[in-house]
Formats: sequence, structure tokens, C-alpha cells
Amino acid sequence: MANDPDFLAGFMDDYFVECEEHLTAIRGQLLELERGVGAAAVRPALLEELFRSFHSIKGISGMVELREAEMLAHQMESYLRALRQKDVVLSQRGVDALIAGVQALETTIAARRDNRKGPSIEPSVQELAAVTPAASAPAIPPAAPAAPAAVASWRVTFTPSAERVGRGVNVDNVRARLRERGTIVDATPRVLPEGIAFEFLFAGDLTPQVLDAWRPDGLVAERLTAPTVTAPPAAGTPASEAMSAEASDGSDAARLGTSHVVRVEMARLDELMRMIGDLVISRARLESALARVERHVPPVEWRTVQENSQTIERQLRDLREGVIRVRLVPVREIFRRMPFVVRDLARETDKRVRLELRGQETEIDKYLIERMMDPVLHLVRNAVSHGFEPAAERAALGKPEEGTLTLSASSVGESVLLEIADDGRGIDPAAVAARARAIGVPVPEGELGPRALLDIICAPGFSTREETDRASGRGVGMAVVKATVEELNGTISLDTAPGEGTRFLIELPLTLSITDALIAHVGDRTFAVPQAQVREVVEMDPAALRRVEQHEIAPFRGGSLPILRLGRLFGMPSAPRRALHVFVVGTGRDAIGIAVDRISGQREIVVRRMADDLIDVEGIAGATDLGDGRVVLILDLPALGRYRGDPVAAGGAR
Amino acid sequence: MNRTLIVDDSPTMRRMVKVSLRDVCSGGFAEAASGLEAIEQLALGPIALMVLDLNMPDMHGLEVLKFLRAHQAFRQVPVIVLTTRGDEPSRAAALAAGASLYLTKPFAPQALAAHARELLGERCMVAEEGAGDGE
Repeated sequence: MANDPDFLAGFMDDYFVECEEHLTAIRGQLLELERGVGAAAVRPALLEELFRSFHSIKGISGMVELREAEMLAHQMESYLRALRQKDVVLSQRGVDALIAGVQALETTIAARRDNRKGPSIEPSVQELAAVTPAASAPAIPPAAPAAPAAVASWRVTFTPSAERVGRGVNVDNVRARLRERGTIVDATPRVLPEGIAFEFLFAGDLTPQVLDAWRPDGLVAERLTAPTVTAPPAAGTPASEAMSAEASDGSDAARLGTSHVVRVEMARLDELMRMIGDLVISRARLESALARVERHVPPVEWRTVQENSQTIERQLRDLREGVIRVRLVPVREIFRRMPFVVRDLARETDKRVRLELRGQETEIDKYLIERMMDPVLHLVRNAVSHGFEPAAERAALGKPEEGTLTLSASSVGESVLLEIADDGRGIDPAAVAARARAIGVPVPEGELGPRALLDIICAPGFSTREETDRASGRGVGMAVVKATVEELNGTISLDTAPGEGTRFLIELPLTLSITDALIAHVGDRTFAVPQAQVREVVEMDPAALRRVEQHEIAPFRGGSLPILRLGRLFGMPSAPRRALHVFVVGTGRDAIGIAVDRISGQREIVVRRMADDLIDVEGIAGATDLGDGRVVLILDLPALGRYRGDPVAAGGAR
Repeated sequence: MNRTLIVDDSPTMRRMVKVSLRDVCSGGFAEAASGLEAIEQLALGPIALMVLDLNMPDMHGLEVLKFLRAHQAFRQVPVIVLTTRGDEPSRAAALAAGASLYLTKPFAPQALAAHARELLGERCMVAEEGAGDGE
């Protein structure tokens, strides 16, 4: 059957997006499935979910006439059906065939997207056919998953109505509410005199307060005196087994409400953000205009104007936060791929690696997630192929044979921290220095601190291996990792100890474009400093500064802190009133103080990137309009900190 | 004219069905991603036609069909079962459960539209006769 090409063209984007969603889910589910090899039973809901993902891919691949993808998905679906019907026992060979099949499927779909010729699917299809018993014909209807695991204590009846659905109270919402408080044993639709209703048999706790709160939403709960496991089949209603998937564990929660999700192009959200940015600037203009007319307005009138202005400011901030929230997605989107990558690479390089994922729910701007995917992938591959010692070597060193790779995410204020840590061999500064000299990358004198090490390994063309192996050489290098992080207004730092491991810490802003900033002054110049970059603001007596060679050092918290005067750095006249105001940036031996004459306050600024490469100056992150007509430069403090001179002097400062 | 309800757990597939039927179903569309959602849609207003997938989470399409046919109010609603190739043995089950038509995916948009037009046409005639009786 040939479809009209125009008809298909309109669906290709949808097709790729939906396939990617299924494939992401499948990758995670396959790892769980692999853990089930040799186990007594595999969670029935897991087989069901996998089956359905392949079934959906098969269906839509057929529609877009991508026969190879349809065929692969069909073969995998058949194997899962056999597993579900217990025609075959889950084996490592079977899981490997699925994994190879999924990889072939991914490549096939990607090839179609890039208008390339896809790979041969024959080997994967044959291997899948080999593990699938021929007897696995589809049953009608598909076998239902296992029996309910809980005893119902309530019968909850939900009557939907247009008004309720209109405010989000629908059958999916009700199920989500119930799952928060217990287990749904069974769900059955009924036709009552007042219309269609859903009857849930529910095991869990429902307090009178909850019941009162639910009543206006058309939810009525009735306590069951005698525990009921399944609903008595009422005449004319479908058998309840078909819905006993409900009794599983709510792991299909992510599928809920698919029809209530709207896909929005990022460009539209960017446009919305830009408009809010304009609004922030207009309000700042209004604020300075108001300040000028204050003395001409009677105080009572003035207060009203002032209050309204402040209300608008607050609402604007809420609006901005609302739009930012729309753009946030869980870091899980990056992390989910990693078990797959680690597993394959560990096998290839014959290492044993356990992956620990933490903070997967941490949310970050969608754009940042997309840009960070490759850098994180690179750091993970590096850790597996270079970071960890082979199992035998680890055993000889008295370390656990299985290495641990930790990926964690957390949010701190307006920033998100990503950490990629391994307990492998660590980075050897001597080897790095030798390699750098050999290929002409400048190496500072003396002991290499973490900052200097990072700078070297991120230098273009640097690699600690003579031949870049397939795993780490592919995609982006460390130079690109660092460049990407910095382009996103983030920072990257390194912590490594020989024999103990390596840790990369990446700090990223939650979102781009609008941020809170401190307004600083040097002489008659004004600058904005993103607040997220500042660890601390302190006042210092200029007389307390000591000069060590060409650097200034200030006593600070029992140690000393190198001080960089912004006025001197930029060659501007500076006139501190009495004390210097110092922004403390970085921690430990990377800490540095950047001194300005005065700090006049904090405000929300709209970051406009410098579009002209000629003024792409390190230390300047962009420009902003303060609303009073002044355009001021936004400082990039971590980048400025790098002007401090050689790392030996920095290393002495704590 | 009443809405056409498209029931499929794949958003892409729902959109394909919708675009195929755009010129046929003048009463607009409602969508559901699962069997339970489909039944909820029945509660919200009358529908002229249902396009129903079989393999879905929560409640199999066959169960949705049985529910429909078991209740007087929905017995007459034409249902096109539209399911992925490979579910063939369910053809007999679907027809026995009261499907008006059994089609497989991948489907040809024009063919689906023609079938829908036919089913809706029959329905219009039934409705007109009904109106005539009332006079």
C-alpha cells in the first residue's frame, strides 16, 4: 500500500519524536530485563511495557513506510510475546538479541532521518528469530499480567463530567491520586443511572479530610467491610481481568495523561522568554522614570503608584519563573542513556563498572540538556575507557574489582551541579605534563594544580593516549566539553588523586537569558555580576592587602585570598571610598577575590550575548540594559579569575 | 454533528487518523490514549464514530468494544477497529464483539476516509428516519 508522500511528510517529525520516546523508555526497561536473567520471574508489567513500546514503533514505522524498522520491531515484539506467554525462558542470549535489535532499530531510524541508507537488519532479525519459538502465535486477547497483589479496602467511584475534565479532574488524574495513597486493585467502567462512572477497588489509606476534599471532584469512597479482591462481575460489564494491569505498581505513571500533554517547539518558548526579557527592561525603565517624578507627586498618590509598580515586578518574576518551569525537564533525560553506554563500553574494554545515578529528578532547561548530552557522554566514556583499571589490576591494588562510576545532579539556588566521578586510577600529572610538552601545549612550571591540569587536558588536540580509541575518540573531545560548558555560562572543575579517582564538577545556570545580578561600580563605570557566580561578598580595608611579587593577597578566614582589582585589570581609574568590595569566586585553592569600588544593589537583568566576535573578550559574558538607558557589561567572574597569573602563586593561597 | 473519537496510545497514529478523516468527520474530534480514557470521553458527550486501536494500556480495545455493545446508549455507535498487522487472529474476536469494520495498520488514508464516510452516511440516514418518526 503506497501512501501519498505529502501525507507522510507531515508526520515525520512526530514519528522521530515518538520513536525516541519509546526508545528512551526501552533502554531503561532492557537494563531491568537483563537483571531478570536467571531470576525466578520477570515483572509482568515490564514485559507488557516493552511489548507495547515495540508494538507502537512497529505500527507507526509501518505507516511511514520504514519497513526495516517495522520488521525489527515486529521481531522484538514476537520475542516479548513468547516471554509473556511463557513459551520461552528469559536468557542472556535473548537479552543480547534485544539489545542488538534496539541498536539496529535506532540506527535504522537515524539513517532515515538523515536520508542515509540504513544498515542491514538481517543479522539482528535472524538472531531474534532464533531465540523466539515458532509456536508463539498471538493469543486473543493478550495474556493478562499477574493477579492483584493487594486486598482492597475501599470502593472509590468517580463520575466524570465535562466540567470536571475541563479543570483537569479526569480518570488519569483520579488514578494518579489513588496511586499516591495506595494500590489500585481493579478499575471497571460502569453505566449507572446518572451516567458513566469508574469504579476503583483500592487498597490504601483514605482519611476523612481527603474524602471531603475529593467529594466536589465527583469522587465518592465507600469502605468495604469484607475485603474484596476483585469486583463481582456485574451483568453486561467487561471482565475485570483486562484491567488488572492496574494492580502492578504504577510504573506506567509516565504514560498517564498522554493526551493532556502539548508538544511545543523550543523556538516558541525562546520567543516567549525574549518577550519577557523585553518586559523586564520596560519595567526597569518605568521604575527609573517613576523615581524621577517622585518629588512631583503627592505622597499618598505616590504610594499607590509605587505599590502597583512593585506588584508588577512580582508578577513579572512569577511569569518568568512560570516560563522557565515549562522549559525544565528532569536530568533523567541525559542519565537514562548512560547505563546503556557504560554497559557496552565496559564489556568492550573488559572492565567491571557499576553505575550509580543520583538526583535524576533534578530539573534543568531543555536547551541545556540537549547541549550537555554529548559532553556528559564524553566524560562517561572517558571514565570507563581511561579512568578505570582492569578488574585484575584493581584486585592487585586492593580495590574492589568492580569500579563505581557516579553520576549525580543537584540544584543549588539558580544553578544545577552535575558530577561525574570515578574511583579509578586518577589523572597522573607527570604523564599529562610529558604529553603536553611532546605536542607543544604550554605547561606551567612547578606542581600542576587541578585547574592547570584541566586547562591542559582541555587544550585542543590533547589526548593522553597516542591513538584515540574508538570509544573516547568519537564525538567530542575535552576541548569541546569545556567550550560547551562555558558557552552555556557554566563552569567545569576537576578533582583528581592518583589511585583514588577523578571527579568532574560542572555547574550550569538553571536557565539562560534572565538572571539575578549584583550591580558593581569601578570609578564611573558600572558592571553587572551574575549572582550565581558569587560565593560571597566581603568588605576589605585596602591597607590589609599585602603584596607578594606582582600579586596582592588579603588575609581571609585564617588563610589568604589573592585579590584582583578590576580597575587595574581593565586599566580604569578607581576610587574606593573607604573599603574595597570584594566578590569571592571559587573554592579552596581556586578561590580568588575580585575587588570593585562599590556595590549598589541587586536586580534582575536580561543577558544579551555579544554577537560580534571582535568583542568576544574573555571575562565579559554579555551586555544588559539597566532600564535607565545605560547598557552595561556583564562580567564573567570565573573567567576573570584566570587572569591572576601563574598557578604556583595561586596554589599557595587558601 | 457529533464528534469522532480516536482511541490509540500513539499520538502520531492519532494525528494520522485525524488528518485522514479531516474532511469526513465534520463534528470535530476527541482523542483518548487508553481504554479508560476512551470510556471517559463517552461520558462527556455523544460521539458519531469511534476509531479504536486494540493493543492499549489499562484496558484492551476489545474490552472497550464489549463495554460499548453491552450498553443501550452506545450500541449503535459505529466502531472501526484499526489495529497493527500481527493482531490478525483478533479479527474474528473484534467482529464478534461488535466491530462495524476491522482494518489493519498501516492503513491508506483515502481508504479509511471512504469507510468512515460510508459508516457516517448510514448513520445519518438512520438519524433522519428517526427524526421522521418523531413528527
